[in-house]
Amino acid sequence: MAESPGATTCPGTFARAWAKAVSGTSYLPMTQAQLETLLHRLTGQLAGALLAEPFDLRAGHRVGAELVAAHIASAEGLGRTVEVIQLRLIRDLGLVAEEVEDRLARLLAAVATGYARALRDRTLDEQESIRRAAMMARTQAERALRASEARFRHQATHDPLTGLPNRTLFTERLTAALNEPGRGAQRVGVCFLDLDRFKVVNDTLGHQAGDRLLITVAERLCQTVGEHLVARLGGDEFVILVERSGGTDDMVAVAEAALAAVRTPALVDGHELQVSASIGIVERQVAGANPSDLMRAADSTLHWAKSAGGASWALYDAERNRRELARYALSAAIPAALERGEFYLDYQPLTSLRDGRLIGVEALVRWRHPELGVLRPDSFIGLAEETGLIVQLGGWVLAEACREAEAWSAGGTAAPFVSVNLAVRQVHRPGLVQEVRALLRQTGLPPERLQLEITESTMMSTAKEPVRALRVLADLGVRIAIDDFGTGYSNLAYLRDLPVTELKVAGEFVAGLRSPSVGRTDERILASLVSLAHALDLTVTAEGVETAGQAERLRAIGCDAAQGWHFGRPAPADRILARIR
Amino acid sequence: MVWRERAGHNTRAGDDARVADSKGDRMQRPDWAPETIDIERPSVARMYDYYLGGSHNFAADRAAAQAMVAAVPEAPLMAQANRAFLRRAVHHLAEAGIRQFLDIGSGIPTVGNVHEIAQRLDPESRVVYVDVDPVAVAHSREILAGNDRAVVVQEDLRHPEKILTHPDVRKLLDLDQPVAVMIVAVLHFVSDEDRPSELLRTLREALAPGSYLVLSQASDDGRSQDERAEAERVYRRTDNPLWVRSRAELTALFDGFELLDPGVVWVPQWRPDTPESAEDAERAVFMGGVGRLGG
Repeated sequence: MAESPGATTCPGTFARAWAKAVSGTSYLPMTQAQLETLLHRLTGQLAGALLAEPFDLRAGHRVGAELVAAHIASAEGLGRTVEVIQLRLIRDLGLVAEEVEDRLARLLAAVATGYARALRDRTLDEQESIRRAAMMARTQAERALRASEARFRHQATHDPLTGLPNRTLFTERLTAALNEPGRGAQRVGVCFLDLDRFKVVNDTLGHQAGDRLLITVAERLCQTVGEHLVARLGGDEFVILVERSGGTDDMVAVAEAALAAVRTPALVDGHELQVSASIGIVERQVAGANPSDLMRAADSTLHWAKSAGGASWALYDAERNRRELARYALSAAIPAALERGEFYLDYQPLTSLRDGRLIGVEALVRWRHPELGVLRPDSFIGLAEETGLIVQLGGWVLAEACREAEAWSAGGTAAPFVSVNLAVRQVHRPGLVQEVRALLRQTGLPPERLQLEITESTMMSTAKEPVRALRVLADLGVRIAIDDFGTGYSNLAYLRDLPVTELKVAGEFVAGLRSPSVGRTDERILASLVSLAHALDLTVTAEGVETAGQAERLRAIGCDAAQGWHFGRPAPADRILARIR
Repeated sequence: MVWRERAGHNTRAGDDARVADSKGDRMQRPDWAPETIDIERPSVARMYDYYLGGSHNFAADRAAAQAMVAAVPEAPLMAQANRAFLRRAVHHLAEAGIRQFLDIGSGIPTVGNVHEIAQRLDPESRVVYVDVDPVAVAHSREILAGNDRAVVVQEDLRHPEKILTHPDVRKLLDLDQPVAVMIVAVLHFVSDEDRPSELLRTLREALAPGSYLVLSQASDDGRSQDERAEAERVYRRTDNPLWVRSRAELTALFDGFELLDPGVVWVPQWRPDTPESAEDAERAVFMGGVGRLGG
């Protein structure tokens, strides 16, 4: 085969027409000139294939694939290519050959086949690639989600100031440690740490300095006991969780290391701060422990350490805790007990050492507890004083004593006065004078038959108001006695200002009178007190007199009156009064 | 009208019913919220790939693109014309000596990417692609693997300061040297409320003298209300409503740049390869231009 002689061969014309036909069928990343150059080359290949001997269809496949590779890759691109080749290739190139029409048809089929194959492969590749991209993007998004979840989780479980785990994380870890299967026989412990007088730092140096101190403490704790979980629960409270404790010794070692770390002076804003901390330690077997009980115990223990003066640790003591809980329960029950009338008064005689006459009685409160039986004041008065309930309870005692005492005068003989203890809070409370006045008026008790016993510590305060109130009461005729004289304040200055009628000498001096050796000193003290009192025009009552011998020696010293088992135990009023009727 | 990529925050599915005037309250994923990938939701980037004859798209993209073609039959032509404008602009700038390109809204890396054109002229040319569509970014990352002079960054055109300070951007581009910033077929997805002129000013102020801005976007000159409404309906199915702009608005966006000849024109009219290729230019819907930062 050969080109027919004389025919005009013009592949350039054909290539231009081809380029025109396919442009716009899809995006072609080239200029029109580049496209024509490409198609010109392919035109040559097509022409060569038509004339080649033997006829080789693979040339057609290659052209189809090259078109797709050049991004002439759309259905329209193929359609127009087929059309333009069919209509123009032979004519434009002036091709003459045997069976050229047949060959052209087969060549076109080969081009279309090669084109479709290449386009299919390319489509599949692209689909695969976009799916892979979507998957990668999804993985990325999930990773970002997890990262942000981790971030949220971190924020939710850490203290922003110190970066330490917060209460949430600590509670989680503690709970996990206690619930971990198979750990029942092992032991777990916490050190609950609180800085001593941290408020002073905040108040004097400002909160920023306080915050920096907390950061320093957090760092130190991490350095020292960081092998355990160190968390900040809030404020200046930190906690160290020892998930596997070998016993209390281990915990004490951790606590002492922590205390030492805190004790090292910290440089904050140019101030060298020396702070200390208190630690409550709880250590127990995993089995049967639960997080809230454990932390409550740690909290109580921390308070023991604090109330013992700070800068040290305290170890949880179940017995002590039980007592405190019982005390707490008792104090909480006082108001209801008052309402239900569970309190009553016993009286103890105050007897004249001169003639053995009953000159007065001291009112002593009793609590007929529905479960615990009759309770003496030493089991609940201290609590009532701590909680402030003493004001309510003391008010009741005073009123009840006045009411009962008024009835004693009916016998005609000189009735005894009633002596009532006043707590510090009662004396310092405004309105004491009005309260006493109202009681005297309501009950009709003569003022001189009421004695108020106050302790020396009541007068330690520099407040003027209590002194004035007592003076008003004394002016009314009410007797004022100093209780437990000689054991407390023992500053005699207030005796100058106070309208005191009587000193009650503490039983411990009297107790000494039993043994001859110690007794010598006590006897001298007592004698001095008596002569001092008498010099000031005061009477002296000795407390805790249990034997006739003591009574005799007190009488010899010149003591005016005495109180104690020797003269009569506390008893209901009618039993005491029976003695004088 | 149309498209190039950008954007699908493909976060929300099923809100095709978003009302026609909701452009203003387009919801955005807050920065802290992780994105989710939902290929059931059309992405403008993959729709654009479809118009260009690519197969980097999913059924939802094709359905949306076909709906667009039904409304505006020239849509594929428009995409191609825009792509050709990009090619000519990059070629021109590379010839003019630009070796750094920042292509914002680069989308699915279909044929004729900026780095292919620029690095063919000078292999030292550096290109940063920026897109907000995570799938487009993942795809670009795969394409660019092994090319240490081209990188893709996932960021939003609406946060130019984040783009400019992105470590990958700072690593690859020297902003003391001229850079060509390409914002091609993406600004019509930025509402007036997002203050396109301020975005451009932020970018411009970070550029060295001799830098270029290549800008094109859909324009409504010569379109009927019906066509426009139909196109907007299609794009409401994506996360990217359209904001078409006039020639005057586009020209104003070149504030601070000296427009190269022939100014802001229908994209086929911008320095065409052959006179014929600029025929019926307004059918391309896109207008664009190239500006140079003097000084």
